[in-house]
Amino acid sequence: MLDYIKQWLERRRAGQIGDHDWNNLPTPKSAGDQLLSDSRLIVLDLETTGLNAAKDEVIAIGAVAISGGVIHLDDQFDLILRRPELDISETVLIHGIGPEALTQGHETEDALLYLLEWMNGDPVLAYHSAFDQKFLEKTLRAELGYTQQHLWINVADLLPAFFPDAKTGGKGLDNWADFFGLEVSERHHAAADALATAELTLAALNKARKEDVKTLKDLNDKLRYHRRLQNMHRF
Amino acid sequence: MASNQDSNRPQNTRAIMSFLREHAPFSSMDDTHLAHFAEHASLRFFADGDVVLSPDDGVVKRFYVVKQGRIRGERHNEKEDRTETTFEISRGECFPLAAMIGERPTRTLHRADGDTFCLSIEQDAFITLFSESDPFRDFCLRGVSSLLDQVNQRIQSNAMASMGSSNSLDTPLERYALRNPIVCSPDLPVRKAVARMHENNVGSIIITDDNRHPTGIFTLRDLRTMIAEEKGPLDTPVRQVMTPDPCRLPADADAFEAAMLMAEHHFAHLCVVDDEQRLIGVVSERDLFALQRVDLVNLARTIGTATHLRTLVSLRSDVSRLVDAMLAHGADSGQVVKIITTLNDVTVRRVLELNLQKNDPGIPFTWLTFGSEGRQEQTLLTDQDNGILFRTPEGMTEDQVREKLLPFAQTVNKELAECGFTLCKGNIMASNPKLCLSDREWDDWFIRFIDASTPQNLVYSSIFLDMRAVFGPTEPLHELLEKVLTRIRKNALFQKMLAGNAFQRKPPLTMFRNFRYLNDEKKHALDLKRQGLAPFVEAVRVFALANGVETANTLERMEELAKKGVFDPKDANAWKEAYSLIQAIRMRAHQEMLDRGEELTNYIDPDDLNPLDRRILRESFRQAQRLQQKLEVTYQL
Repeated sequence: MLDYIKQWLERRRAGQIGDHDWNNLPTPKSAGDQLLSDSRLIVLDLETTGLNAAKDEVIAIGAVAISGGVIHLDDQFDLILRRPELDISETVLIHGIGPEALTQGHETEDALLYLLEWMNGDPVLAYHSAFDQKFLEKTLRAELGYTQQHLWINVADLLPAFFPDAKTGGKGLDNWADFFGLEVSERHHAAADALATAELTLAALNKARKEDVKTLKDLNDKLRYHRRLQNMHRF
Repeated sequence: MASNQDSNRPQNTRAIMSFLREHAPFSSMDDTHLAHFAEHASLRFFADGDVVLSPDDGVVKRFYVVKQGRIRGERHNEKEDRTETTFEISRGECFPLAAMIGERPTRTLHRADGDTFCLSIEQDAFITLFSESDPFRDFCLRGVSSLLDQVNQRIQSNAMASMGSSNSLDTPLERYALRNPIVCSPDLPVRKAVARMHENNVGSIIITDDNRHPTGIFTLRDLRTMIAEEKGPLDTPVRQVMTPDPCRLPADADAFEAAMLMAEHHFAHLCVVDDEQRLIGVVSERDLFALQRVDLVNLARTIGTATHLRTLVSLRSDVSRLVDAMLAHGADSGQVVKIITTLNDVTVRRVLELNLQKNDPGIPFTWLTFGSEGRQEQTLLTDQDNGILFRTPEGMTEDQVREKLLPFAQTVNKELAECGFTLCKGNIMASNPKLCLSDREWDDWFIRFIDASTPQNLVYSSIFLDMRAVFGPTEPLHELLEKVLTRIRKNALFQKMLAGNAFQRKPPLTMFRNFRYLNDEKKHALDLKRQGLAPFVEAVRVFALANGVETANTLERMEELAKKGVFDPKDANAWKEAYSLIQAIRMRAHQEMLDRGEELTNYIDPDDLNPLDRRILRESFRQAQRLQQKLEVTYQL
């Protein structure tokens, strides 16, 4: 896989826009009976110019893949998009991506097509996934006219569902990372946040195995049940 | 070019490389090799208790580095039918080495000890690194032969020590045999040799050549034989009647070897020699047995009857040696600190008595000690924290009394400093007019102290609320304490402020039970006193004062609180044990600093500890966290 990325990078550097098979993009998978232990899961994090999906834009995509309950570091995605037209003055302090990096980033269309191929239609996990989902769907629609629905799983729900008694002192990624003693190498770097989210997901999947949550469908059901429980508590 | 390459690598690859760079052997490996590791790595999670690697898994195909958490090795002890932890692998350490190199299954069950993340590479990446990176190959090969074995051995010997089984005998000879032995030349007449033995009150004399090599030994038993068997007149040169070629051992041999040698040859004495066979000391059978019961009584008596300050100063090194021997015996740290305090008390009393003989101020007073000395928890590193309590005689003002007592106190403070009690930097000493007070003045002082709780007062609380009389009548102090305790018991606000203050002293553990270091400057230092012991001392003080416990000693306070039902007895025991273990580690560190001739500090680097002590320390800090939770709940902090 790493070789594949290298090849792709070399092609990119040679100025060639990758040759993608528009008509045969992978089909998104649904939450069926595939075993978690066999599945490939994408854990993704986006850096954006702001919090408003209606007007802000994606500037960096970081993702890692979990297969068989293990994060394989030769199967990861770490790109800054080339969008020199964007105003990033408000958020540059958070993610540290300056205008210069944005002009040197990767051609958006190219990068997004590559992302879709790399994701292979596998379920996408993210911390507070609604945010990333909204932004990514919007970007895919605007740039590629792509509208297929992927299966998204919110890691911020996944963790409390499997560790209901954990005293994390808060609901944020940092709280959970602290709880498991993780060090996030560079917070608010898309790839580093994705890796931290993926590590936390490993802990949840470990627990899932012990609670006999075996398939993607089991997992989805468990999360739905957890959300319903949360909503009941709210009233 | 290197930095350029580095920035081309994905963030997570760079992050893994910089993690690896912090640990051996990766710290000495080339970036290309680290990159090879990072790019081929996978990241796995093991929940607490999960099996990571088992002998049943077959030939090992994967090499691991602990990224976060801990792995323990388990072996089944068939004789006793129980599982033993044989080693611990912490953050940055690799496994399995021997099985990976030997291409065989592991012999030890590896289990996650706490939630653990591991980086791993598969066999092919391992082989690439092994063949391409010299530091990596060296580490793996050296590791196989020694690393785990060393750890195993160390844990075994520690376990033996903690069980207390004949551990006194693994004390190195140099720890107590080092002293100037009585020697003579081969031509000295027996009569003179015996006179020299008599003068020095020893049972043996070593005969040495010009190079200080021992050539023979002459003992009282030899003298007895000589006379009984009429071997010759007392003018005979000693070389004719000595036992030639005496048994010798190097200084790093242990007491056990010495005992074996003596038992084997029926010798009562052994020469201790250096690398060049030069005599450095003598060990007698009696020395070996004296080790078993440290002669506290005798030392205390010697200190208590010393007639000169000079003698007192010189006796301080005996105290240090006594502590050394006791620690080497695995003595309980609670006992050791009490003994140090006892000996310190005797010294303080003797200094006071000698000064009263010379220059009696003529006014009765009670000599008070505060802080750790007040709690009877002194170690060798000790400050003076003292004060004076007096009853103003009829017809005198308090200032007039002070005029007489202060010069006296000043001399005493100075002489105590000569005895090794460092002058208090904060001037909490009897020669300070603010701490040389009448009973009425002390009472007023405490009223202000308790009713007007300022942050400074709370800092003082750790010193002045742990108070004890060392010399003079104790009744005035008892009366004072009774009033103070009643006042604190009635003052819920003061209690809560004390509790809040104690709660600030967090044990040095992170959420994940890793050590939290002192600060950025002292990257790997823990302050065992401030970070380790203080959380116990301060929390226990709050409970003790709030519940009318009069004793100042932390362990005794905990016992009292358990008796009063304030602490659950099981909790109290766990806390006492944890507190004592931290104290023991601190005192061992002190002794090691003394051995190296360094200034005593309370800082240790947990990385210098063996894995067992590290674990003990971690668990002890966790107990401190539990005690603080009780404080938090009780006072709703």
